[in-house]
Amino acid sequence: MDIPYTVTARPDTGLYNAKVGIWLFLASEVMLFGGLFSSYIFLRVGADYHWPVHELNVTLGFVNTLVLIFSSVTVLLAWANLKLRKIGQFKMYLAITILCALTFMVIKSFEYRAKFSHYAVKLTDGTFLTGHLEDGYEIKFGEASKFTLTIYAQNSGIKADPVNYVLPLIEGEAPKFKTEAGDEITLTKATFQELQKDALVKAEKAGKSTGTIKLTALTPVTIHAKPSKILNYTDTTISFLDGTVAEGKLLDDKMTLTVDGVDARSVPDAENSLAWNNHYLGESWKKAFIANRDHAEEEFKTKYPSRDPLKSATHQKEAYYLHIESSTPPAAEGEAHGEGHKAEAKMEEHSEAHAEHSGHGPKVTLEKKDIAFWSNYTPKLNTYYAIYFTLTGLHGLHVVGGAIVLTYFLLFDGKMLREDPERLANRVEVGGLFWHFVDLVWIFLFPLLYLL
Amino acid sequence: MADSPEEIYKSIKKIKIVGLLLGVFTIATVLLSFWELPTHSLNILVGMILATFKAGLVALIFMHLNHESKMIYKILAFTIALAFALFFLFVFSAHDPLVFSGLYDSNQ
Repeated sequence: MDIPYTVTARPDTGLYNAKVGIWLFLASEVMLFGGLFSSYIFLRVGADYHWPVHELNVTLGFVNTLVLIFSSVTVLLAWANLKLRKIGQFKMYLAITILCALTFMVIKSFEYRAKFSHYAVKLTDGTFLTGHLEDGYEIKFGEASKFTLTIYAQNSGIKADPVNYVLPLIEGEAPKFKTEAGDEITLTKATFQELQKDALVKAEKAGKSTGTIKLTALTPVTIHAKPSKILNYTDTTISFLDGTVAEGKLLDDKMTLTVDGVDARSVPDAENSLAWNNHYLGESWKKAFIANRDHAEEEFKTKYPSRDPLKSATHQKEAYYLHIESSTPPAAEGEAHGEGHKAEAKMEEHSEAHAEHSGHGPKVTLEKKDIAFWSNYTPKLNTYYAIYFTLTGLHGLHVVGGAIVLTYFLLFDGKMLREDPERLANRVEVGGLFWHFVDLVWIFLFPLLYLL
Repeated sequence: MADSPEEIYKSIKKIKIVGLLLGVFTIATVLLSFWELPTHSLNILVGMILATFKAGLVALIFMHLNHESKMIYKILAFTIALAFALFFLFVFSAHDPLVFSGLYDSNQ
């Protein structure tokens, strides 16, 4: 069956059908992204922290912008060459457009990956230490022998499942347990199901809605758990995601961070930030920070004598966000911030700062009592990253969708290309319109997220 | 819409020039972001004006909105007006009685 008006325009609308369709679709897309841009404005206006400026990799964002602009040109050239029946050039330009889409996504994946492995730790005084957890971060809990499992008679949000949630976190081989009845068991799905049944029967007899299973490890065990793998812990207990609670002793919950930045913008007295404690970065880094801040302030005053430095987001960042690129602070008379700047920081004995030094930034071991919050650079960190991942993620899906459609035209529309090239030209035009919209959205995303 | 070969050849030239212009304006946007205007809000405003100009070029030239059927303009007029209104919804938050407690409350 022939679908009418796929090549020629309908007399009433003056457009071929697919064009009306794509514009209606694009109108709905404008509303979708419009809503998200509106959310961006709300989040930025309501942010109670310094909204990141130039925090993302500007070079990568810039390259991606050029890639999308270039692909917008090539998709149009593909359409134009198809109209001119230059089939070879049509295929070439369409292939280049698809390659540009792939390049865009590969670059985006590099950006995302860098963010996922980058961490920000907020200290209790408001200082942010940024860096990498090179050895990961685990809670070490030892001498655990008594395990208490709660079994719910009815469906509950938490369901005891020690085989999947507790055993994998135990160091070494799975231990043997002694039940309340005195039996020695190895915890498996089958043995746990039996224990579960018994506990429920007992609970029913007692008229309770929950049963309890108490297990004692024959030899006390040590538990290693990422914070995401447990519910919480104290000095003497640890609760697992399935509700199981073990008694024992907290051995270690210190976090070792390889620091690449100190953000003191939210600290009332940056010179007395916790970061400069001797057991963290120490006096020498404090001096480097002060030298960097004073230099930035002096430079700002010289360049913009009539302006208020507090109103300059970029200045605040330059002055109060110290980027650390080496394991030791800039030496005396060294250059801490651009050519000509004499850092006041004098290199002191390494021993005064108990920080170990790695090849990149200094390593500091943070105590839990000093940590208010920590996260990698994901939506959990702040509302900026929440909207960044939402907007760029949704935009990325559009890039992938557009690339799939264009690939279909290139690889699977051969018959139409031979028999009805004008209809294929209309298809490419419609696909191209979507592609330009993807480019158009990025034109706003790039400055809003990367530059301003 | 360009349909004759002459018109298409002309539009190819235009497309390349606009592509180049978009690249130049992208460089300008990046440079501007590193240039300290009296307030950061002004940086945002100028940056957005540049972005809107670039988006206008894409819409008018690449998406052929400079010579389209009236029907498309009708569809877009409603959409753009509503989307634009969304950007100003935040003004109502000025009188929002809720006090923002802060994401990073150290007591949490």
